[in-house]
Amino acid sequence: MAMGRKLQVAAALLVVAVAAAGAGAAPRATPGVTSSSILLGGTIPLTGEASAAAGVAKGADAYFKYVNARGGVLGRKITYKYVDDGYEPQRTFLAMRQLVQQDGVFAMFNTLGTNNNIAIRQFLNQQGVPQLFVASGATTFGRDAKQYPWTIGYIPTYRAEAKVYARYLLKTKPKAKIAVLYQDDDYGKDLVSGLQAGLGKKASRIVKKVGYDPTASDVKSEVAQLKASGANTFMIFAFGKFSIQAFIYANQLGWHPQIFVNDVSSATSLMVLPPAKATEGAISIVFGKDPDSPAWKRDKGMKLFFSIMKRFSPGDNPNGYFAAGMASAYTLVDALKKAGKNLTRQGVMNAATHLNEKGNPFVLPGIVVRTTPSFRYPVAQVKLQRWHKGRWVIFGSLLSAKP
Amino acid sequence: MSRARTAIRVVGVAALVVVAAVLPHFISDYHALEWATVGTYFIALLGLNVLTGYSGQISLGHGAFMAVGGYTSAILMAHHGVRDLWTIPLAGLVAGGAGLLFGLPALRLSGLYLALATFAIAVAFPALVKKFEHFTGGSTGLILNLPKAPGGIHLSSNDWLYYLSWGIGGVLLALGALLARSRVGRSFRAIRDSEVAAASSGVSPALYKTLAFGVSAFYAGIAGSLVAIETAYVNPQTFPITLSLLLLVGVAVGGLGSLVGCIFGAALIEFLPIYAQNISKQAPSVIQGLILIGVMLILPGGVAGLGRLLENRAFRP
Amino acid sequence: MAEFWQQVVAGLASGGIYASLALAVVLIYRSTGVINFAQGEMATFATYLALTFMNHGFSFWPAFWLTLACAFVGGVAIERVVIRPVENRPVLTVVIVTIGLLILINGLTSWIWGGAVRKFPSPFSTRPIHVAGVAFSIQDIGIIGVCLTAVVVLGLFFRFTKLGLALRAAALNPGASRLVGVRVSWMLALGWGLAAALGAVSGMMVAPVVFLDPNMMQGILLYALAAAVLGGIDSPLGAVVGGLTLGVLLNLLGTYVSTLGGEMRLVAGLAVILAVLIVRPAGLLGKTAVRRV
Repeated sequence: MAMGRKLQVAAALLVVAVAAAGAGAAPRATPGVTSSSILLGGTIPLTGEASAAAGVAKGADAYFKYVNARGGVLGRKITYKYVDDGYEPQRTFLAMRQLVQQDGVFAMFNTLGTNNNIAIRQFLNQQGVPQLFVASGATTFGRDAKQYPWTIGYIPTYRAEAKVYARYLLKTKPKAKIAVLYQDDDYGKDLVSGLQAGLGKKASRIVKKVGYDPTASDVKSEVAQLKASGANTFMIFAFGKFSIQAFIYANQLGWHPQIFVNDVSSATSLMVLPPAKATEGAISIVFGKDPDSPAWKRDKGMKLFFSIMKRFSPGDNPNGYFAAGMASAYTLVDALKKAGKNLTRQGVMNAATHLNEKGNPFVLPGIVVRTTPSFRYPVAQVKLQRWHKGRWVIFGSLLSAKP
Repeated sequence: MSRARTAIRVVGVAALVVVAAVLPHFISDYHALEWATVGTYFIALLGLNVLTGYSGQISLGHGAFMAVGGYTSAILMAHHGVRDLWTIPLAGLVAGGAGLLFGLPALRLSGLYLALATFAIAVAFPALVKKFEHFTGGSTGLILNLPKAPGGIHLSSNDWLYYLSWGIGGVLLALGALLARSRVGRSFRAIRDSEVAAASSGVSPALYKTLAFGVSAFYAGIAGSLVAIETAYVNPQTFPITLSLLLLVGVAVGGLGSLVGCIFGAALIEFLPIYAQNISKQAPSVIQGLILIGVMLILPGGVAGLGRLLENRAFRP
Repeated sequence: MAEFWQQVVAGLASGGIYASLALAVVLIYRSTGVINFAQGEMATFATYLALTFMNHGFSFWPAFWLTLACAFVGGVAIERVVIRPVENRPVLTVVIVTIGLLILINGLTSWIWGGAVRKFPSPFSTRPIHVAGVAFSIQDIGIIGVCLTAVVVLGLFFRFTKLGLALRAAALNPGASRLVGVRVSWMLALGWGLAAALGAVSGMMVAPVVFLDPNMMQGILLYALAAAVLGGIDSPLGAVVGGLTLGVLLNLLGTYVSTLGGEMRLVAGLAVILAVLIVRPAGLLGKTAVRRV
């Protein structure tokens, strides 16, 4: 009796195993794509020091849900599986392997962090997996296309951003004496090199630059050094709370230079923290519509943003990160549509490197998201904005932000 | 120990070896990579066990020695085109040398002060790496060639890495066991139990404590080298202070002084964050912390302690 | 010359920050013989608690004292629930538990309050004062003042109260203390409670300057450890002296020795730890331990 039962169980298991093997053995044209779905993979810091940026993935996810609710892309619903990497490149590496080798995603999208993306770029390119719209402003993701043809960035590069500041200074304050506070890593150094490149022969206008390590507790000493240089222009190429501290100390020290603050630290939620006198008149760049700015209250794109957030991501605070993620997602959907019904990895890569997108509701009006296989900087236009009485006010015309 | 117990132990170890040898056939390619990573942690933990478990010196800087090994390998591969396999023993030796160098001044420190000093080293190391940009690639780090099985061996890259790390791990485990049974190992334990007594018996604490650092750093260097080869990329964030802390956790959970327990410690380091994320996407750290505290409260002797408990129960006369 | 003095003043201000957390570290070491890796996280958690109280209508000082009380209770609770079971275990086990606490509390803080940077009100004026070309604010002095007050209060407590004496005895010699009727176990809990309260003070002093986020104390913990070691790990006054010295030293090194700016500042701080540990482990003001064989 016992033997009989055992045989039955074994037979059942055998049948299941064969069926499973059979199902698994069915050949798939393109990983991550079925007739009704597309599986995208991504890594994002949901925990850890950079967790504030997690909104980038969540915003994109909300947008995909919105698109799915309206029938998806050419009949396919998008699933965006994003995994926490705690901003550590080691974890990004393993998470990417899981997404590609285990889950079989169609492409990686919107992965955040410079070193995090470098950690996975080689493998993705070797395997021919698209690394789309990297959430990092490091120039390498657009510039090194020959070596890494499956990779493309999205936001304006840090180098380009600093060049914009340089050109503006040359035009409006050619005799400026510039002091620079920068984070002592690739991010800060990219900005510094862009500034120097943008100033060209006038690079000597930079009278002092001081780097700080992100493990520092505060930047009092560095700001004091910069003030002592006698500069009248202050570039804050710092991150998050260090940027706020820089504003405050400069003010406390009685130093009131023209301040330029880098885009990543220009979020309204950060800018309101120092006293008004410290931040008044600061300049930054902008390429997306800021949900915290009353200027976009009646804008159709912003209304769409808020309605999508309300419906598909309730309980989340709809700030600039979510909007940036949605802008990226919009472009991705655009690329997927262009790639057509017969969706392949090469196809989406072609689409992504031949963009000519004019109607992205989440970026500034007039910005054209344009790419070619050798110009992989989708968003390469920005405007300047000035902090005035508690909010950002955009001024001037659209400027080129080519690296 | 009775012959039955010895036999059970031998069979147990043999079974583990067999499982390790055939595992890649039964698991997916990606899981082979995960287990390869477990293998590298295993090697690092073996080293830390020699230091903390055998000679009783608490080190919060083991990750720094891994970094020395990892960067040695990376620099040799990236700047000098050395084949990845040859860099492994070199990385071990360089790290071992660093360990000996550190062991000397560390002789004056013990317990808490040693922990603080090693903590300081682990925290400072990434900053030092960034400073010597020319060699280390600074904050961007060094990009290496993707790992590949050497010509003639037909294995996927992940399977190759698996066998590489567990192969080396097995060899180092055997060496570690031999070391433990040797005079050196006994001297280590003598110093752990009472430095004063050991000194009075003619065992020089200075020599053996320094040696323990050297040996443990050697292991760490090899582990670091494997990490570099596996991920094909090193940067200052590859070996952060959290790694050193996690390694210590791994040794404690596996069981101080237990070489085989290191397997459990290594598996914990690798899989706990993943497991915690599956339970709670919102607050994986909370789950992780709870599990760590829970394990320490329930099993202060680690898994090895549990193993010994069960063994004793089974063989009660 | 003004720049030199500005750097000194800025260094004293930063040093005050390091000193405040160093005090909590020293206290817990002195009363329990353990370095609590979760000290910074507990302080951060308490600071968020204070902010929550203030958002619910409490003004600064009532919220401050309420938070201290909660931190004290929390510290005692943690010791009773988590540390007591491993009290008699080897040091490593206790260290692992504090590491587990670090991960747990940090995760809890992120989960409850989110990762965004927040402003924390300061009880002291932040209006800049300029004296002979050097700028500082009442806040900078206030932080140092609070630290020194804490040192004095602790000193009085340990020296002149029965409870303080019992605490010291329990840490120095648990066996003998039990024999004279000291409830050693509860003394340890008291030590944790006090350290947690001190940590909360540190957090609330520091947050207005560096701004509040879940990882606020991580950068400071390193320098606080360096300060504690420099001043003498068992001396509260040493923690303050160590903190101020470290702040000024790092600033001057960073300004005038160009290779020691940026990331090397951290290395310099840690080199200080190593140098002190090797040359004079007792630190500036600590007592040299004599090992008798």
